[in-house]
Amino acid sequence: MSAFFDAWHYDGKSAVRRKVEVQIIGAQFFLLETERRHGPFAFSDIEYVTHKDDADVYGLKGTDGWRLMLSGPVPTDLNAMLPARRNYGGWVDRLGFGKAAVAFTVASAAAVAVVLLSPQWLAPLIPSSVNEKLGDALVGDFGGRFCSTPAGDAALKKLVASLDANPDDLQVEVAKIDMINAVALPGGKVILFDGLVKQARSPDEVAGVLAHEIGHVREKHVMQALLRQMGLAVVLGGIDGNSGALVNNMLSMSYSRESEAEADAHSMKALGGANISPIGTASFFDRLSEMDGSARSKASDNGIAGYMSSHPLSRSRKDAFEKSIVKGKNYKPALTPAEWTELKTMCTQDRKAKSGFGFDFN
Amino acid sequence: MNDDLSQRHSAFRFHGSWLEFARIAFPNLLLTIVTLGIYRFWATTREREYLWSKTDFIDERLEWTGKGMELFVGFIMAFLLIGLPLIVIQLISQGLIFRGEAILAAAMTLMMFLLLFYLTGVAYFRALRYRLSRTYWRGIRGGSDDPGFQYGVAYMWKSVMGWLPIFLGVPWSMISLWNDRWNAMSFGPHRFSATAEWKPLMKRYLLFYLVPFLVFIGAVVFGISMAASGGTPDALGSTGMAVGAIFAIVAVLSFYLFLPLAALAYYSKYFRLAVGGLRLHNLEFDFRARAPDWILFFLANMAIVICTLGIGYIFMPYRNWKFFVDHMEAYGEINIDDLTQSETVVAKHGEGLLDAFDVGAI
Ligand SMILES: [Zn+2]
Repeated sequence: MSAFFDAWHYDGKSAVRRKVEVQIIGAQFFLLETERRHGPFAFSDIEYVTHKDDADVYGLKGTDGWRLMLSGPVPTDLNAMLPARRNYGGWVDRLGFGKAAVAFTVASAAAVAVVLLSPQWLAPLIPSSVNEKLGDALVGDFGGRFCSTPAGDAALKKLVASLDANPDDLQVEVAKIDMINAVALPGGKVILFDGLVKQARSPDEVAGVLAHEIGHVREKHVMQALLRQMGLAVVLGGIDGNSGALVNNMLSMSYSRESEAEADAHSMKALGGANISPIGTASFFDRLSEMDGSARSKASDNGIAGYMSSHPLSRSRKDAFEKSIVKGKNYKPALTPAEWTELKTMCTQDRKAKSGFGFDFN
Repeated sequence: MNDDLSQRHSAFRFHGSWLEFARIAFPNLLLTIVTLGIYRFWATTREREYLWSKTDFIDERLEWTGKGMELFVGFIMAFLLIGLPLIVIQLISQGLIFRGEAILAAAMTLMMFLLLFYLTGVAYFRALRYRLSRTYWRGIRGGSDDPGFQYGVAYMWKSVMGWLPIFLGVPWSMISLWNDRWNAMSFGPHRFSATAEWKPLMKRYLLFYLVPFLVFIGAVVFGISMAASGGTPDALGSTGMAVGAIFAIVAVLSFYLFLPLAALAYYSKYFRLAVGGLRLHNLEFDFRARAPDWILFFLANMAIVICTLGIGYIFMPYRNWKFFVDHMEAYGEINIDDLTQSETVVAKHGEGLLDAFDVGAI
């Protein structure tokens, strides 16, 4: 800090530096050079620009590059007329650093909480027509990969009707894709992949998986996940790249685990209501989870990895299905042997349905 | 430090201290975390205000007048006008793949890629323009009246031309684009002229370019000599094994050590040539850092980040700027009376949407 008050001026028109004195006249001032007078300028047009070493730098609204630089002890009458210094930026300077940090933390936590919790309430409010349009937009007719035979369709319809009270809002299809997977989509769409149906050892196994996907539909999980993802993308959009994506993934993962548990619970209830034994579903999980590393990597060619990646297979899931068995209950098979054969061979019989996935053109 | 000797006659001097910078960087980090990243635009602005204000050009400090709000609004606009459409296009193309319209999906993805490629070029141009228009010296600033849309086209075709001849055109495209960018810029009433040449850069580039080939050729020669020496692999014995192990280590080192070193050596030459070709009226510029300076600088940066478990990362803007200013040199003379205000437009946010892509400009 220099001990003396100094004022320098750039007029913004040329780079000439001028040593000046500030002459205050009411709400205005002049800048006096030895042989020239600049001004008058209104104090209300003065804005704080920056701090430069030992000087505060002020600008003039509307005049590009106009600068008044004051160093040393600024006279009190002048100081009273000048705008406040800016340090962190508007809000933080007004609140003070500590209070602002706390306020921002609370606001951020609230924003994240709203984004995480509101989809549960918002998803059911979205009209079913929007859901259907979205589902159509996403898959349409799945590139002609849906299989259909009269007997197979009837078997599938019977299975759905036994598992759900309002089968008419559901659109369940079997797709001619050799992957062990099943997906629920907005608009009540459930797609069972043919690979899953083919490897199932009983209709009960298919019933359990199907009821699980119907659970996703009934609990509006897909719409919730979509809303949550969009919300997180906006809220965490400020965090750059990788760390934002990481936080986002972790948050959505924990929610997807919750959804899986809900869908499993829905499935067990539906199976119980339809008098179908949950033992089939349990053994399906068992077969998948018992594959060791080598079998799994070989199996990934057949797409088992598909179902595993969206549905982590833990022992606890299998155990839950086993526990839901009611001793002495008179379970019946989900489908008759004839119906089961029709469903299983539906995609082989339907020669019109296209097979394969993605970029496969034959 | 030999700063005094080498910098006494330099037109550029940096007076900052990392302790002062820490007092800006740590609160910035805290505020950035509690605002989920949103504060980072103001954080960048505060850091630049400090770094610029501690940088002397001849006899006056630089001034950074950019605003955090400008960057923030620009980011929001970029998200709404580019980020959101990209997400929608991605969703649609995914739906198209599901429907088997793979060619259409590929076309849309290609369009998206080309658009991003073009905007990246425009963004580089705009970032430089933004920085010059917010940098004041003696009340005078820089800028450009060129919106950079043509530069975006040049960026696309020159980059592709650089890649086409098995990447041998990269030095040409980098220098040529640098010249294109700077020839469109001005400071005060004077236009920059950039006449850097690319041919002197080729030797360094070939050094970098050939490292992988040399390693590969070495491997082949080694293999042949091993085969010629008559031994089948299992008959080589322990000496053969040891030689093989040493060779493997050398090969790995070449990739992880020589390749980055060669890249730095190339970049140092590129930057020296590029800055050396710059002229502003009667001023000529020079960048004195040579390959060893760059290598030391990089190793020190890595050491700082690693030893502080990543927290040292917040000092990188300080270190980068200091390295840049310490090695920057200008010759010639400035006539202060001639240096009048820039007539270029100051892009306000909204109008200068792409100013927001504040990618590394220099
Ligand atoms: Zn599920």
